[in-house]
Amino acid sequence: MSKTKINDINRNIYDIKNKDEYDFKIKKGITKDIVEDISKQKNDPEWMKEFRLKALEVYNQLELPTWGPDISELNMDDIATYVRPKTSLNNSWDDVPEDIKNTFDKLGIPDAEKTSLAGVGAQYDSEVVYHSMKEELIKQGVIYTDMETAVREYPDLVKKHFMKCVPIYDHKFVALHGAVWSGGSFVYVPKGVKVDIPLQSYFRLNSPESGQFEHTLIIVDEGASLHFIEGCSAPKYNKVNLHAGCVELYVKENAYLRYSTIENWSKNMLNLNTKKAIVEKNAQVDWVTGSFGSKISMLYPMSILNGEGAKTEYTGISFAGEGQNLDTGFKVVHNSPNTSSVVNSKSISKNGGKCTYRSLVRINETATHSKSSVSCESLMLDDISISDTIPVNDIRTDEVEFSHEAKIGKISDKTIFYLMSRGLSEEDAKAMIVRGFAYPISKELPVEYAVEMNNLINLELEGAIG
Amino acid sequence: METIRVNETPVRTSRHFLINNVELDSTILPEKIENFENVSIIGETSKIKIEKDINNCSLTYGLGDILTSQVNEKANQKLKLQVESKTNQDIQISFELDEDNPNLIDMIDITAKENTKATIIIKYETNKAVQAFHNGIIKVLAEKDAELKMIIVNKTNLMSNNFISIENMIHENAKVDYTMIDFGGKNSITNYYSNLVGKNADNHINTIYLGRENQFFDLNYIGELRGEKSNINIEVQGALKDNAKKNFKGTIDFKKGCKKATGNENEACLLLSEQAKSLALPMLLCSEEEVEGNHSSSAGKVGDKELFYIMSRGFEKKEAMKLLVRAKFNNIIDTIKNDDLKTDILDDIEERLD
Amino acid sequence: MSQDLLEIKDLHVNAEDKEILKGINLKIKKGDIHVIMGPNGSGKTTTANSILNNPAYQKVNGSITFEGEDITHLKTDEIARKGIFMSFQLPEEIPGVSVTNFLKYAKNKVTGKPVKVFQFKDELETYMKELNMNPKNMERSLNVGFSGGEKKKNEILQMLVLNPKLAILDETDSGLDVDAIKTVSKGIEMFKNDENAILIITHNTKILHSLKVDYVHVLVDGKIVKTGGQDLAKEIEENGYSQYK
Repeated sequence: MSKTKINDINRNIYDIKNKDEYDFKIKKGITKDIVEDISKQKNDPEWMKEFRLKALEVYNQLELPTWGPDISELNMDDIATYVRPKTSLNNSWDDVPEDIKNTFDKLGIPDAEKTSLAGVGAQYDSEVVYHSMKEELIKQGVIYTDMETAVREYPDLVKKHFMKCVPIYDHKFVALHGAVWSGGSFVYVPKGVKVDIPLQSYFRLNSPESGQFEHTLIIVDEGASLHFIEGCSAPKYNKVNLHAGCVELYVKENAYLRYSTIENWSKNMLNLNTKKAIVEKNAQVDWVTGSFGSKISMLYPMSILNGEGAKTEYTGISFAGEGQNLDTGFKVVHNSPNTSSVVNSKSISKNGGKCTYRSLVRINETATHSKSSVSCESLMLDDISISDTIPVNDIRTDEVEFSHEAKIGKISDKTIFYLMSRGLSEEDAKAMIVRGFAYPISKELPVEYAVEMNNLINLELEGAIG
Repeated sequence: METIRVNETPVRTSRHFLINNVELDSTILPEKIENFENVSIIGETSKIKIEKDINNCSLTYGLGDILTSQVNEKANQKLKLQVESKTNQDIQISFELDEDNPNLIDMIDITAKENTKATIIIKYETNKAVQAFHNGIIKVLAEKDAELKMIIVNKTNLMSNNFISIENMIHENAKVDYTMIDFGGKNSITNYYSNLVGKNADNHINTIYLGRENQFFDLNYIGELRGEKSNINIEVQGALKDNAKKNFKGTIDFKKGCKKATGNENEACLLLSEQAKSLALPMLLCSEEEVEGNHSSSAGKVGDKELFYIMSRGFEKKEAMKLLVRAKFNNIIDTIKNDDLKTDILDDIEERLD
Repeated sequence: MSQDLLEIKDLHVNAEDKEILKGINLKIKKGDIHVIMGPNGSGKTTTANSILNNPAYQKVNGSITFEGEDITHLKTDEIARKGIFMSFQLPEEIPGVSVTNFLKYAKNKVTGKPVKVFQFKDELETYMKELNMNPKNMERSLNVGFSGGEKKKNEILQMLVLNPKLAILDETDSGLDVDAIKTVSKGIEMFKNDENAILIITHNTKILHSLKVDYVHVLVDGKIVKTGGQDLAKEIEENGYSQYK
């Protein structure tokens, strides 16, 4: 019992619960009336309202997945899909209500904005409460705004791309997202513009028994580049919260996009998120993902390599503790010649947690001379946890180089002895080995996040060992 | 078209990945099953008790209800073998499917008693003209300290359908090795399951497959480690020509209690044509801490550098290619100690690669 | 007896239920260099591991005291913090942890004091230069991708940085070429003073050509069968162990 207590106390910055105050909270459940009401509350243009209702139809037709974690505890009748915070969109933190601003302060967002980010978006429950970007990027024609503003102000761009990369038919929760989406970020980087400093959107879900359905749409035009960071967290409640966001990335010819995520949802969250990138000729998308939170996650970012010479890299780590079932991985489809993918995945299971690496590598007939290499490593920290590796490798032509490697095991006693002989306690030794194990991923993260990730590992291990 | 769904993977994944099971045209099942006569057993039968009467069996996995109950209800060959001492001479069971015996439904039940040793070769062959059907179950029980080597050879022709379900129970210190030569069949569908219950239980599976024309292979191998220090090794080497296609589903499952168990799985597929297709799902499932599991999987064509090297020594491209494919298979073929069988298999590889 | 550092009394140790050490007695004073020699399988590595109480080895009988304190059943890290260091025959590889960070952390644990970053870096660079080590290795993951020689030098580097009272060198010289052995001997000389001691465990005598030792013990089948001076090493070099079997 005391072990859990340590976790709870240490998670405090993430666990600050603000009072469930809001401007508007929709009725729980998912019906046509509710979707129409959301649309009305959000002042949708007609096409978006139609789109939502179509998505609802699809949602009602699709079955729950027959594989993966058991999500039967999710009852949509208990979830409020739209919660509007008691503030509108601001471009100065001073205008954000005190308690909401405090939350983001403690998460370090305004500080990071000053030191290491070119722009910040902050979402609280269903709406973005703060959005701002450096002047020079505005001058270069970069657009970084909340999704609602984008729908209003850039209707052509949005209509052309919105849920075209991730169609509502993909799976049930994408359809749900299409029906009730709210908030999220829209980024457009014009041709040839290199955004050297990252943009970051942070998603915070405060309201209990509710869902967050933010939509992130990023277009990196020809020859442009961008690093986008996404952070998410929520305080812990006793009842289930749902996150079913959607991320669509369009990486045009010769463009580069790096998409980093630190996901630290509270352990009552069902995280059923969908992320996909369409990568064109000689373009590249890199995914860096750290999954620590949530009760159940089903998250498999996907790269579709459509253009000749397109590339993608996925670097991911998940860390499942007590009561957590993190089912994550990566999907890549090679459609054109000379495309390449590199996957490096790590997982750590402890205190009865379950990590699953689930993946797809598909190299189609058209993707001659393509390459793909996959490496998965899983660490078991005790004998009550579970770690599964379920990779599908679908190779449909001969002119390819494909290799896949996976390893599973515990920290070796010899290694622990070696470190202890240098004066480290068993706990320190294990923590050092785990941090080292996670290093290939943490080194890909911006430094504040790397520090945060190491802190999370230490904090998680405090509960695990001893 | 009515289909039958066979060979389910032990853990489902997204149906978009097209690997949870295989669907086949139900007309491949023969309507009428006659008697099957063409079977021969040679070897040192004095050390092995052979009976023709076996009770129905249930399988933990198997190829699915339709095929399992077909064997239980309609088997036209039943064999029960009991290895009762150590034997150095191979036991060879050959089934020949021909015009008069086109359908074989067999059930083979093997028990290797405590501290015994045997090599059992089971061959399925067809003559050229027949469109044959084979569906069989092989059940193996290896008692304490038993050592059993199984060699399964499938040489059915390209019009035929071949289905095999294998299930092994392996006790303390017992060692069960399989060499599987999977060459034949329009469809060749295998379900292999080992339950390593005993301490130090050991199971090696070495498979080669070779596909051409429109051949389709579906290999679903499952190893569950329960005993302390138990070990499983899965090595699958294959090559695909023309429009051949294979699915490999390999699962190593470390069950609770299998402390210090090890599991390795290596699967490599050589693609010898643009149309050949390889789908693989090498799974590692783990619910125990102190274990070591590894898998690796690869697919692609014969390396250009290797090919160039061999050709620079005066081999034509086709010959060089054959040589490289054989090289991949050699380690596995070398696990067969029976020289006649080995020669037979090498000749067959030669012919199939032509 | 304030000069006594380590005392092993009648030590019996099992590994995987097999008796390996069958009653070892050994006393090491400050300022001494001891050598334990013996053929493969005689229990040399077991002796080293037992002093640091590796849980893979079970102590059946006997005791180990260090500076008068019973350390027989202390945990490995506690023993390390008392001032005993062991150079491993096969140093472990730790991916993702750089040599610098590791040593900084270990130094902090052993001394119980915060490490001054710049001073520490200088110290490390000096030692690395002396040991002919590539300074780039400092930022590489600990022992990952190091050659055999680099790993052994890295062990000596750790010994110098952590500055223990007793250093146990388990087969530090094995598998090294002549130059590397000279470097290792140089490291040992840099470390050695009147206040500390060294226990060298080896199955050959190469390292003894460039190092003066005080005591040589011959370990055969889990027992010390003979103790002498540097001459004894020479004798073994000529005649081997067969006479003691």
